[in-house]
Amino acid sequence: MNLKKQFVEGLLTQNPVLVQVLGMCSTMAITTSFFNGLGMGVAVTIILTLSNIIISAIRKIVPDKIRIAMFIVVIAGFVTCVDLLIQAFVPALASSLGVFIPLIVVNCIILGRAESFSYKNGVAASFFDGIFQGIGYTAVLLVMCIIREFLGAGTFGGGLLGVDGKGIQILPSQFPIKMLTLPVGGFLVLAALIAAMQWALSRPKKEESK
Amino acid sequence: MSNEVKTKEKVDMDPKYIVKLTVTLFVTCVIVAAALGGVNAVTADKIAAINWENTQNAMKAVVADPDNTAFSDALELTDDMTAAASAAGATLDSVYEVLEGGQSAGYAVKVVASGSQGNIEMMVGVDAEGAVTGVSIVKNSETSGIGSKVMDNEPTAAGVGVLSQFEGKSAADGTLTVGSNVDAISGATVSTKGVTTGVNAALAAAGAIG
Repeated sequence: MNLKKQFVEGLLTQNPVLVQVLGMCSTMAITTSFFNGLGMGVAVTIILTLSNIIISAIRKIVPDKIRIAMFIVVIAGFVTCVDLLIQAFVPALASSLGVFIPLIVVNCIILGRAESFSYKNGVAASFFDGIFQGIGYTAVLLVMCIIREFLGAGTFGGGLLGVDGKGIQILPSQFPIKMLTLPVGGFLVLAALIAAMQWALSRPKKEESK
Repeated sequence: MSNEVKTKEKVDMDPKYIVKLTVTLFVTCVIVAAALGGVNAVTADKIAAINWENTQNAMKAVVADPDNTAFSDALELTDDMTAAASAAGATLDSVYEVLEGGQSAGYAVKVVASGSQGNIEMMVGVDAEGAVTGVSIVKNSETSGIGSKVMDNEPTAAGVGVLSQFEGKSAADGTLTVGSNVDAISGATVSTKGVTTGVNAALAAAGAIG
């Protein structure tokens, strides 16, 4: 178990969104306000960590042939629990994320980590993998939220700060490009981030090879 | 190669193995279901209370005198009511009686109409004379920046809020139609039409009560 390596992998070199390109649907759909991104990121981190722990714990008794079915049952169970808890205790988040919380079930990050990491590694390593991958996912969501909110609506911290939770207006309201808060803006911002990430990751390698 | 295929077939056919798969999956499902039951028992009341509060807030937004108004529990929907709403093109969700100082003062009708991006759930207040007292949107997924203008009750070209324009209209005005007796928001005609259909259905349903 190598915590530092796992942390760097989760946040950068194996970032779930920018490098593994998993969980695209939720990434583009919900990153329109800071509050949404934070809520979704935390929800996914919790579910990912819990399901990683359980799957890693039961990995020796799960027959290979039905492992995917078992993963989905475990994940769906946790997602539904978290969904109910959010509805009961954070109704504002439940109404703004809506259907995307139940849809975490099919978020590829969780199934992907179950299959590629926790099914092959110990409980403790899987626990940290869940947390670090979750942080990596949350970090990308927050960056996207901040960019899309700032350029698309001219605000910061939507849903959390400012009057009526509309965020703090930074750009005067005639400048923002409304398009960035629409789905097409999600594609554009995500593409730019992935490109930047790939560029950054490919640099040191080139220097080494010289 | 042929050997491998043979072994695989043998495993597939082995009844003990199949039983093991079934039992493992079954036990997992039972455990997960029990966990869900537990969480549901904790959160069910709370979620119901929050939903009722949201419904009440939505109803208060559509009555003439919110401070002195109480609401009955959901009325039982008769076939006449549902049929009247369906004939107008929307689905009747629930009906509550509006009580002003203990006296019946009309109904709050919740209907689901289809907008441009899915369903629009809305609450329509209808007074004892069958005129609309207000329209509020409970839930929608209209396009941000376009259809959402309708949901946010922005003024039409005539200067009246697009939802406010329904106030005072009644079944006596005939079927409400965008373009003749309802003004649409430019660019958001489909969303406006969805709301109009909902109001028509609510009026029809209220007319079919009693």
